[in-house]
Amino acid sequence: MVRRIVHARVGSHPSAEDLVQETLTRVLAASATIEPGMLEPYAIVTARNVVASMWRDADRRRRNQHRVVDLSTPDLPDSQVVLDEEQSAMATALARLGERERRTLLEHEVSGTDTHTLAARAGSTAGAVAAQLNRTRARLRVEYVLAAEQAELPTDQCRAVLIALSGGDQRRQREVRAAQHLLECELCARLSEPLLERGQQRDDRLRIPVTADPDIVSARRAARELASRLDFAATDLTVIATAVSEVCRNIVRFAGTGEVVVELLEVPRRGIQVVARDGGPGIPDIDRALDDGFSTYGGLGLGLPGVRRLMDEFAIASEPGHGTTVTMTKWERTHDG
Amino acid sequence: MDERPEEHPQTRALHESHWADHGGGEHLLSQLVAHLREHRTRLQEEWSQRIQQAHLLTAMTPQEMAAETTSVYDNYVEVLETGNVEALQHYARDLSERIIPRGVETHEVVGIVLLLRDVLARSLFEKYQRDFSRLNEVLDAYEPAANRIANTVAVSFVDERERIIRQQQDAIRELSTPVLPVRERLLILPIIGVLDSERARQLTEQLLSGIRKHRAKVVVIDITGSPDVDEAVANHLVQTVDASRLMGASVIITGLSPKIAQTLVTIGVDLSKMNTIGDLQGGLEEAERLLGYTVTRKEGSTSS
Amino acid sequence: MNGGPALVSIMRQGSTLIASVHTALDDSELVRFEHDLIHQIGEHRSRGVIIDVAALDVIDSFAALTLRRIAEMARLRGALTVLVGIQPEVAFTMVRLGMGTGQVPTALDLEEGLALLAAHPGAGTDSTERDARPGSTP
Repeated sequence: MVRRIVHARVGSHPSAEDLVQETLTRVLAASATIEPGMLEPYAIVTARNVVASMWRDADRRRRNQHRVVDLSTPDLPDSQVVLDEEQSAMATALARLGERERRTLLEHEVSGTDTHTLAARAGSTAGAVAAQLNRTRARLRVEYVLAAEQAELPTDQCRAVLIALSGGDQRRQREVRAAQHLLECELCARLSEPLLERGQQRDDRLRIPVTADPDIVSARRAARELASRLDFAATDLTVIATAVSEVCRNIVRFAGTGEVVVELLEVPRRGIQVVARDGGPGIPDIDRALDDGFSTYGGLGLGLPGVRRLMDEFAIASEPGHGTTVTMTKWERTHDG
Repeated sequence: MDERPEEHPQTRALHESHWADHGGGEHLLSQLVAHLREHRTRLQEEWSQRIQQAHLLTAMTPQEMAAETTSVYDNYVEVLETGNVEALQHYARDLSERIIPRGVETHEVVGIVLLLRDVLARSLFEKYQRDFSRLNEVLDAYEPAANRIANTVAVSFVDERERIIRQQQDAIRELSTPVLPVRERLLILPIIGVLDSERARQLTEQLLSGIRKHRAKVVVIDITGSPDVDEAVANHLVQTVDASRLMGASVIITGLSPKIAQTLVTIGVDLSKMNTIGDLQGGLEEAERLLGYTVTRKEGSTSS
Repeated sequence: MNGGPALVSIMRQGSTLIASVHTALDDSELVRFEHDLIHQIGEHRSRGVIIDVAALDVIDSFAALTLRRIAEMARLRGALTVLVGIQPEVAFTMVRLGMGTGQVPTALDLEEGLALLAAHPGAGTDSTERDARPGSTP
């Protein structure tokens, strides 16, 4: 079964076999802690994760090769078309929600009405409203994917399965036999991917687009917040936030647009990794840029060399005309160190 | 449990994933909970007796035991009913915090929870012994839940213990690099023993928060007791001086051996910009001079 | 920043200006703050300036540079600037980053900053300095 899932997603045979092995190892390692009935869906989810992580690794390799490109897409001529399509898919998806559901969701997301207010109005509790909102969001995500892909669902079961997956509602998933269905229904297997991905990524990884001054502040704030989930000393939190601030400024000043991805690491040990990349003009002489005293923006040449001192790991790759990527890591301190 | 399922979106998810695999599981659980509530006094007493027989929690007085067993029992039943593991974790942490300083060991905590599990299982056995298939169903519903509770309590306890140990380690580490407030606005930081980068960094952090805490204006760092200062540590020392200055405190370094002075010069530190004085005594006198100067001027300015 | 709560407040107390930064400022907000403060120093002919940065959880190279520039401009206009309230973690990070405050005096907090200004009663009144100031005024 696992083999099938993996094969469906990975073209080349040998790498598929590797992934199958990895999946089974992970499932076996976890089987002691999983209830018997959950083993099958767990295996499926694991297989997906393994596949996803392979893509991520591939993505990482690409990054290291230094062709930072995705960032320039907003400027492509067809971007407006894509945007229009996305908007109309969202409109269709919203239209498929119930009237009351839609109103509550929009009021919360667009007008910013909090759950307490909504609850008071509906004579309900904030918790109930929050749960209802979660269900509505889960449905909306499904309807959005369906509209965007212009997919016709082959069976009655499909929608129920996708909604259960989208909401991360495991009981519902069992009730509708989601795992079984994903094996049988190719369409749902494909559509569910973005829905499941969302659940995996929300937690320990943040992507912040950086284009203007205020983004620098929000990026460093977000990085600090994420880092504070680990056991960092107060000084380290400030150090991380400051380093993020510096690299973001370089993006705004020199490239105009870019992004920062902040990720918590578990291996080889706990820490936080910051990847800042842009598609800007690049740095012609990196050695010089890392030299204390060199500066391109007036006065003090302390951006990059200073950042390198602040962080535990620091790597920079840049290609003139293609952009720059700074990858830096701060490790959580060991207590006996 | 389906009556007001929206109340706790997060805990609801936990609940579903843990307890609801068996079709009629929910109904059975509610029966079970009713049973455990009904016989609360008897079961709890039986449990306490088993604890005593097993010589567990001997560090606690009978009153404390009674109070703790009552709340553990009630929490236990509540978790069975609601599936709200978070609340249990919370309680288990609180409990651990109270009992760890009294020397309660991990095996005791695990032991009492397992005893409770067995006492309750036995009572279910009695209740349903005539209806074997029913009993099986009830136990099927009960056991995974009970094991999970035992697991949660044990993990919370161990976590809490580790946290306390870490705290103690931190406290010990702080003692090894004391920041001494000698008098108002004056801190002394005697550095004793070998400084590595990690210790140097901790020292700086303590000094800087010490400056804020004691509102220090002058800091004397005495390195007489530190024989070796390598380049990294020397750099750190310089940074400490600079950072202290950013917080408005002047630093005087005393006990600088010729060797360390040499290291500082080698890495390019301009010693004339650092306030270095031969011995601690001289450093303290200089500190008083600095403070006295400030105090006088401040007094003179209070009228303005 | 318009319409929201004030990011910075600048108060006048005798010949001293007290500027308190209330929240993290982005680069353009910092620059605006710089202009506002320099303008007010000229307008009120202030002798002393205190900038309270206790609310800043990050002072990166640009912020440090801006603060130094403010102090330098203030000096050219005859005012002594004291930077107060740098947090311990921020101080440490600034130094690691390689950023100091240059010659700008610092103090623990507002109270200390005022005491420091009071200890320099001639703060910024040095006539040669005032004469050396460029002829143009804002």
